[in-house]
Amino acid sequence: MGLKAAAKEIWTRLEDRPVLRSAIAIGGLLGLGLALVLGLAAVGIVSLRFLADNATFLAVPALTSLSATLLSFAIGFAGAIPMGLVRAFAPRILRGEGWRRAAFAPLYGAVTSYVEAIRGTPAFVQIFLVAQVSGLIFPGNPNIPFWGGTLALTINTLGYQTEVFRAGFQSVGQSQVEAAKSIGMRPVQVFLHITLPQGLRLITLPLVNEWVGLFKASALLAYVAVPELLWAASYLGNNRSHPIEAFIMVSSVYLAIIVPLSKAVGWWERKHRIPGLGVAERTVGVGRRRAVVAAGTPAGGLD
Amino acid sequence: MITVQNVHKWFGDLHVLKGVSLQVNKGDALVVIGPSGSGKSTLLRCINLLVQPDEGDIIIDGVKVNDPRIRPEWVRQQVGMVFQSFNLFTHLNALENVMIGLRKVKRMDRAGAERMARFELERVGLADKADAYPAQLSGGQQQRVAIARALALNPKAVLFDEPTSALDPEFIREVLDVMTKLAEEGMTMVVVTHEMGFAHNVADRVLFMADGVVVEEGTPDEVFDRPQKERTQAFVGKILG
Repeated sequence: MGLKAAAKEIWTRLEDRPVLRSAIAIGGLLGLGLALVLGLAAVGIVSLRFLADNATFLAVPALTSLSATLLSFAIGFAGAIPMGLVRAFAPRILRGEGWRRAAFAPLYGAVTSYVEAIRGTPAFVQIFLVAQVSGLIFPGNPNIPFWGGTLALTINTLGYQTEVFRAGFQSVGQSQVEAAKSIGMRPVQVFLHITLPQGLRLITLPLVNEWVGLFKASALLAYVAVPELLWAASYLGNNRSHPIEAFIMVSSVYLAIIVPLSKAVGWWERKHRIPGLGVAERTVGVGRRRAVVAAGTPAGGLD
Repeated sequence: MITVQNVHKWFGDLHVLKGVSLQVNKGDALVVIGPSGSGKSTLLRCINLLVQPDEGDIIIDGVKVNDPRIRPEWVRQQVGMVFQSFNLFTHLNALENVMIGLRKVKRMDRAGAERMARFELERVGLADKADAYPAQLSGGQQQRVAIARALALNPKAVLFDEPTSALDPEFIREVLDVMTKLAEEGMTMVVVTHEMGFAHNVADRVLFMADGVVVEEGTPDEVFDRPQKERTQAFVGKILG
């Protein structure tokens, strides 16, 4: 069997086994990392001794990074649902007339400006701004860096998640809404039972992307004195004169959190994917271009 | 049962319904025919208030329903609707599609709603497809689930908006059979369709619409075999041609 045929055979076998595929990817990543570290150690750039001595140094900072990210993501999520709703559906109301129009115009304007302001300025600038302001309001409070930083991340992710939800709500078809109305659902019920569950399924993966981006952006909190991962790594690097080791360590921690999480959510999403809803995509065959077929379609089942 | 009196509807400058009136008696099937763009779908949507009429009255069972004091949600529970493109909820399987109205609108308990939903699926011949998602069903099966979903709420009448137009020919029959059975059981129905066979055999009355007005109305024999108006003659000649 030639090399090409062997590769094809392996790919075919892996195709329907996402968990195994993820395991191989993670294994490969670990192998590469290990090879890199050992190689650098062999030429004397990296001290294995230092790595071993400080192996647990980043545990508490990792928790700090995680709590800031999880907290701000959760609050942003809750706020993004109503704000995404306004972004998605206010334009239609604004085309109408009467009191609704008068009520929604300022609301839509406010939410849209907020989103533009967040997306149009660097996260770094937003974090500095919030840190400075909260430092002025609560001078000398030792918890202020963390809470100010978390607030800054919340403000940031709220803007991005609002747009994710807007896209999700808008991709739920008008025919679905009409059908729900036709069986007597009230607008709130249409939203809760149709638009929200369908929209959430469509935006699971974009939301994971946002979480990963936010977690990485939380590194910026190091610059406003939050004792999180990057801050701790800088401390380790500068005070103990082993910056390369410190940054290898902190990279591993980010990877160790992000890769399994996104793989797990991807796996969960595939497992709970509903036939015909959203990106029903399954790759078949090998080659540079992959053919795409609808998942879950029985042979001849669609007309 | 359903009375439409002098209903007008504008979409912007477009005058879609220009004073439409009709009457459907309890247990009757009214078939509405007419060229596309004649306002048939808008008329149906006015009856269950998916579209609010600008002028005129919709009266269901003696109640004027296009009245600010009447909740449109209440009206839509009385009058079911079946859509051209089925519009099944894509995230719910067949059983849940039928159940959701019973659970959320009628506020039934899960066991009762499930019993009733299974009964409705049985009625349209799809008891064995309860667990299938819409994307796993053929067009004909989807439309029958949609009929079951409308019937589950025990409506006084059902509106059908070109229920077979989006179907491949081999699936049209199964949907028409379900509708015929429903008419025979005495369901009050308003059906917009191009299926002349169905109109001929099942309709009690046929109504021909063009350009937002009712051109002619009568029994199937009157409208199809002895149309009085020139426009009706031209249209009927074309579709029966």
